[in-house]
Amino acid sequence: MDDELDPLIHVPARLRIVATLAALDEGDALSFTRLQTMIGLTPGNLITHLRKLEEAGYILTEKAAQTSVALTPRGRAAFAAYRASLSELLAGG
Amino acid sequence: MSEWFDTFSAPKPAPDPYDAAAAEPGSTEPEAELDPREAAALLARTARDAERELDRRPPYLMLLASLVVLVAYGVLWLSVRNQHPYTGPAGWALGVTYGTIAVWVVVVLIVRNRALTGVSGRSMRQGHWEGLAFAVIWTFVYVFEGALTHAGASWEITRGIFPAAAPIVVVGSAAAANQAARQNWSWTGFALGAVVLAGGASYSGPRAVWGIIGVGLCVLLVVRAAQAWWLQRG
Repeated sequence: MDDELDPLIHVPARLRIVATLAALDEGDALSFTRLQTMIGLTPGNLITHLRKLEEAGYILTEKAAQTSVALTPRGRAAFAAYRASLSELLAGG
Repeated sequence: MSEWFDTFSAPKPAPDPYDAAAAEPGSTEPEAELDPREAAALLARTARDAERELDRRPPYLMLLASLVVLVAYGVLWLSVRNQHPYTGPAGWALGVTYGTIAVWVVVVLIVRNRALTGVSGRSMRQGHWEGLAFAVIWTFVYVFEGALTHAGASWEITRGIFPAAAPIVVVGSAAAANQAARQNWSWTGFALGAVVLAGGASYSGPRAVWGIIGVGLCVLLVVRAAQAWWLQRG
């Protein structure tokens, strides 16, 4: 059943990262430091998960004075699909 | 040359925590199994927490706004309610109103700054331009009031009905249009409610208009705060 859920998102840490970034308005980004504070992961742990999401094209990290992280349109679509699959799964089970 | 005497170089930027984290070896912890029910609960909790933390207009701020409006308009009403003939709000009342508004502005800036720390992008740029547009609109309501005074309008108009109702009618209409364009119906409803209230209250005369708008806006803000709190709980 879990096969229907996007395995890239269906991990506690990454689910929290994506859900937090999805709370921003479209086109907005969050600094790495603020994201870390909000999620409560260690910097090393957070960056490992960010890399996986970035490789999939779900997020974009942007280097300025401070690095910021944003959900891409592809990431937003994947998150919407994940939420829909999760709701269906729970309604069916 | 020692850095103590180097006053011409640009200050060194603060180190980026991302760079420090990127230099560390990545986490090799196994990825935890997640039951769909746990996932749904975690998702709901995280989304709710994130929305609350990033909210620049939290319910408690709206409740505080309701008190500010009640005090600001209330003291103006108290100072004019028994005036015959009408001369406008007393100096002490204007002092209390401006003082209350000044404290309110500081509180709003602190809450906004806390919510938006680390946020960048399109909505931030858009917010700056919107702020500028609203400042111009607000300013020109008072420029228009000056024109009415210059044209010899009575004190009932220039120190009563107009300053009590016009800023809310004009700025509220602009805010309603802005929120409707974003399909933000809760704020559109609130702004339209304020416009209807101020427009209607302007018929009550130069004394009662202060009291009616103060109490009416206070009630609208309490309702909006309760609605926002309910939505955040959901």
